[in-house]
Amino acid sequence: MGAILKKEFKAYFLTPVGYVFIGLFLILFSMFFNIDVLADGFSNFEYIFYSGASLLTFIVPILTMRTFAEERKTGTEQLILTSPVSILKIVLAKFIAAMLVILVTELCTLMYFGILCYFGKPHLLTALTTLFGFFLLAMAYVSFGIFASSITENQIIAGVITIGFFMFSWFLPDLSPIFSGFSLINLLTKFLVGQIDITAVVSLVSFTLMCLLLTIIFIQRRKSVR
Amino acid sequence: MIEVKNVTKKYGNFVALDDISFKINEGEIIGLLGPNGAGKSTTMNIITGYIEQTSGEVIVAGYDMEKKAKKAKREIGYMPEGVPLYTDLTVKEFVTYMAELKRVNRKEKKEKVQQILKETGLEDVQKKLIRNLSRGYKQRVSMAGALVGDPKILILDEPTVGLDPKQITEIRSLIKRLGKKHTVILSSHILSEVSQICNKVIIINKGKIVATDTPDNLEKKVVGNNTIYVTVEDTEGKIDKVKDKIKGLKSIELVKENEDKTKQYVLEADKNVDLRKKVFEQFAKEGITIFEMKKADATLEDAFMKIIDEGGKK
Repeated sequence: MGAILKKEFKAYFLTPVGYVFIGLFLILFSMFFNIDVLADGFSNFEYIFYSGASLLTFIVPILTMRTFAEERKTGTEQLILTSPVSILKIVLAKFIAAMLVILVTELCTLMYFGILCYFGKPHLLTALTTLFGFFLLAMAYVSFGIFASSITENQIIAGVITIGFFMFSWFLPDLSPIFSGFSLINLLTKFLVGQIDITAVVSLVSFTLMCLLLTIIFIQRRKSVR
Repeated sequence: MIEVKNVTKKYGNFVALDDISFKINEGEIIGLLGPNGAGKSTTMNIITGYIEQTSGEVIVAGYDMEKKAKKAKREIGYMPEGVPLYTDLTVKEFVTYMAELKRVNRKEKKEKVQQILKETGLEDVQKKLIRNLSRGYKQRVSMAGALVGDPKILILDEPTVGLDPKQITEIRSLIKRLGKKHTVILSSHILSEVSQICNKVIIINKGKIVATDTPDNLEKKVVGNNTIYVTVEDTEGKIDKVKDKIKGLKSIELVKENEDKTKQYVLEADKNVDLRKKVFEQFAKEGITIFEMKKADATLEDAFMKIIDEGGKK
């Protein structure tokens, strides 16, 4: 598992994928930082994330769309699937590698906290719950992205399915209040006010586990229909 | 070493492999032979655990591929068809990655990787990105990936496809050398290749095994008639008279007339009758001068075509 994790993480930075992801994220995040925080004279770190979290919808697919689709297309999946590594470990390795890139990105956002410290007194605990919630949301998004990548050999289709699902989940509560609990991005708001909401934590973690499990089942199933 | 028992693979209604069984012993080099789409790759993919059979059993080095996949997979080095590689990695990075996947001991890793790079002739290009390599080198990288971790069994799917003649001979001699230490299964639709490298051939057609034997035996099996080619100078046209005088000779047919006025004929005789001596004596009596005489051997090519044809008619 270590071997795949190492290679996957390295691959993000051997190809432009990692740089595009982090670069794009930081440029747009800086924009929201300016619009939502600096321009209004706030010193609240968490305010960036109200708009910033929606960025995940569009950039997580950059990270996840190639994970399994590319291996399937180029045939390299034959190399990993015939190696003595279980499917569970392969999926976990790819998931953790993507999450490490997210972690690097999150660490980069600490610079905004630093800037705010210079001008005022941002609330540290709220900032931490925000980062924690953002990480959980990213986990849920990444796991769905990986699942989408495992069901097709076309990266673009995997990416489109991922964005489509995120937008669907995003706007679902607008359709009817009944669906308010189904929106992944809405679960983040609790963390932004400085709370660690157990319902939200359980929802995001269980959604992640469900997606990873579906990925494993899907790859396992394909062995007999391939 | 490898046991395939009654393996069937179906895709919907299409039967890709139909109740295939065979056994491969340690140290053998086996050639899987068959026309395109016969089921060679499917068989290999099932043995390596990449796909699952619909029914039947595959036992690799004593481990059931379905129940003890991890242990079974550790004994196999696989070079898939079309040499899939991570083209963003360098040769050395790729081989090291494969070594890690196969759990090569961390202390031995560096040394083992270098040893394999040397064995496959990749030392000079080890720092190059795989995407920049020529087809022949890519093939070798794939082979190196299969070799790493000292697997007991090597499975090579069409290892020489797309190579130039020089590379082909190189790869073949490499496989022969590997055959001394490993059990090798290779697939091919090139017959001369199989007869050169392998000590046993399994011929597959339309998902069924149609023959299993050594290359020599397969050739012998198909020899129906004894065929002799003679080139003679026959100015008086006496050759037709000879036919009745030699017992066992079935037919004489003109193949071609050469510029120097000699003629080449093909003589057919019954199976297991060698007419060369009689032909020589009789021709001399009639005053026909023999310039050249040779017995035609049936090739594996003939064997293959015949076996495939018979299979088709059934």
